[in-house]
Amino acid sequence: MEVHTTGLMQNAKRVIALNRLLPYQADTVSVLLQGTRELNDSINNTLEEIQSQQSSAGQLGPEKTASLLVNHLCMRRNKRCLLAYHKVRTDKIDEALWSGKDILEDQQSQQKQQAGEGADSGAEGSNNLSPEEEEYTRQYGELLAAYKGQWTDIDLTGSLEPPKDLFVDVRVLKDAGEIMTEYG
Amino acid sequence: MNLDEILAEATGPSIPQSTLDLQELSRVWVAERVAPELLPWPETLMERVLAGIRRQVEIVEEQTGDMDSKTNFKLIVIQTELERWKFLVRSLLRARIAKIDAHPHHILFTISPTLASQSSSTSYNPDLLSPAESNYLHTHTALLSSHYSSSFLSTFPSALQSLDDTSGGISMISAPDLDTAVFVRCLEDCTVERTEGGESLILRRGDVWVVRWRGVKLKVERGLCELI
Repeated sequence: MEVHTTGLMQNAKRVIALNRLLPYQADTVSVLLQGTRELNDSINNTLEEIQSQQSSAGQLGPEKTASLLVNHLCMRRNKRCLLAYHKVRTDKIDEALWSGKDILEDQQSQQKQQAGEGADSGAEGSNNLSPEEEEYTRQYGELLAAYKGQWTDIDLTGSLEPPKDLFVDVRVLKDAGEIMTEYG
Repeated sequence: MNLDEILAEATGPSIPQSTLDLQELSRVWVAERVAPELLPWPETLMERVLAGIRRQVEIVEEQTGDMDSKTNFKLIVIQTELERWKFLVRSLLRARIAKIDAHPHHILFTISPTLASQSSSTSYNPDLLSPAESNYLHTHTALLSSHYSSSFLSTFPSALQSLDDTSGGISMISAPDLDTAVFVRCLEDCTVERTEGGESLILRRGDVWVVRWRGVKLKVERGLCELI
């Protein structure tokens, strides 16, 4: 279990350092969830034991209390690690959406590419988001669009650099045809 | 009444409202970028500023057809100014959103009267967010918590499912660090209580100090100091 939580944390750190999303660690997460369920069961068992014993013996041994405490703390640790892992990922998604990148589309095109290349390249660049994260991305995108819609004059996702000049210098490399400017 | 006040009164009315708004907006913007905490939403100021921006956009749209070089130059000046206004507003809004996203539960506690009364560390302040921001905050936290629970939290024992748990030694609600140092310029004489040692600090008008945000927060809100 310890291995899995540290693994998740390392993965989260890598996401921060590399500044892009890595494949969702579905296996690790499900192992941790399974482990947490077992911990909870074991706590409940111990509690039941204590309750049945208390009527006869009265005292509960230090080993029982210790195991209760340790199991409980482990569950808390698992929760914190999972939360941190998911939070890092959702933050990354938020950031990408603010900067106007379309992660979902990227992902779909990636999947299409893979389908074309065949199944052998499955591991490389496979689905980076979990289904839940895709859903979250869609909904956060909607929320963002709704919030931005209230500030149509401002263009919220525009540059955060202070404007210096109204015009930019452009060297025409290729004939681009007629270009429509903001005011006609 | 000293000389400065008389001078301020004499020149006060002649400054146009838009210049005053620009000054105030710049001040609000700097403060929001520097302060560790979310500051109250400047409702009336923002209304005036947005109306001003809309007016200028209209002027630009009306006069673009004009080929006269004189109006053309005027338009360039107006558009440049417009871009600057827009930048200030945009940057202010983004700074606020970033803070909202950084401490969502803390801010939820602050704007909700029932939650604020339960918590000792937060004080109730309903005017902290604009309606749009409050809407954003609520929707985003709801989204996040449903995402977490569908991803993993739902299989946890029910006692451990909450996201704003304060038991167990570590509070899950992250709050901004009120002890961050900020630079302030003093606009009027005032005294600031020091957190350690207990002696108070006397700020004279025009002074620039590095102080903890906790100490000058009220002074900034009352306009006795400004953040720089």
